[in-house]
Amino acid sequence: MPDHVATEFREHEAEVRPDEPFTVTRSEDGRWYTVKGYCPTCRVDTVFRVSYGVLGPPKRLWGRGRRAPEPLTGDIPVYCQCGYPHAERPPESPDTGCGAFWDVPVPPPEPGAAP
Amino acid sequence: MRCLLGRAGPASRAGGGAVTDIAKKRYAQLGQQLQYDQLGTVRRQAEGWRNGLAGLTGLVGVVFVLKGRESVAGMPGGWRWVTALLLVLAFVLLLAGSLGAVRAANGQVGQRVWLTGDRLLSGILDEVERTQDALSTARRLSVAGLCAIVAAIAVSWLVPVETSASPGSSGPYVLVNTTGGVRCGELVLADPEAVTISTAGKKRWVRIPAADVRSVTPAARC
Repeated sequence: MPDHVATEFREHEAEVRPDEPFTVTRSEDGRWYTVKGYCPTCRVDTVFRVSYGVLGPPKRLWGRGRRAPEPLTGDIPVYCQCGYPHAERPPESPDTGCGAFWDVPVPPPEPGAAP
Repeated sequence: MRCLLGRAGPASRAGGGAVTDIAKKRYAQLGQQLQYDQLGTVRRQAEGWRNGLAGLTGLVGVVFVLKGRESVAGMPGGWRWVTALLLVLAFVLLLAGSLGAVRAANGQVGQRVWLTGDRLLSGILDEVERTQDALSTARRLSVAGLCAIVAAIAVSWLVPVETSASPGSSGPYVLVNTTGGVRCGELVLADPEAVTISTAGKKRWVRIPAADVRSVTPAARC
């Protein structure tokens, strides 16, 4: 496991190392994804969770029951949330990491998996 | 979070020269923030809808009070029942709609969940869905209730009312109770000396002296 590298805070798009791929797993009910891997910049194991949110009333008739959302496709933009202090991080910044962010591709859903 | 979005433009040059799309990160941060705020967002949305629906209901109610009839008395029997049923239906629909909107805006009383991170996240997502279901149902019920009120108003406006002056209920006929019996016919003339009615399809006039008349009563038919 790599040690934390105390880099200066800098918001930049980092390249994901091919030898340290991220894992993207979907929850059992299909309503959130968890992205795990090492920050390409400060080398800390990060966990990033993306849930399925709703911004308005659903467009459907009288149906009931929990709806599993459509699988996410494309990339998940992930940013470092290592929790370590990083120099030059502005005090007003909501960041809790080194400032790096990167894209993690979502693997295609397995055949037969819940939608 | 809005200030967070405003901290950098859509792209900035980060140190070494590579162009960095900061907006991508800002929206990722906004998405993370919305995960925590979405229940509050949905509740605020429901409050707005609840207020809007209450305003609409009040508006239609005011129109009904000001422009509708005061009672269904005098309407034909069938239409009276239709109006009453529409009003009862409207009341039930609006009551259910209002309760649904209040439930959406304030949540279900007594709901509990284990407050672990995963269960809480799952519970919040569930509650967001339930809130939006309740809001959708409340919206439909309220609209249906308002339509029922408007229909009741329309019925009360359009259905003719039976009054003693209208020909449908009492007509131009009169029953004249005389000392010699009851006579029926269309009233032609009434003066201090006599009451004149026409009988047998307006072909024959009958003059009844006032001294013989005990009473004159309007009637729908003879």
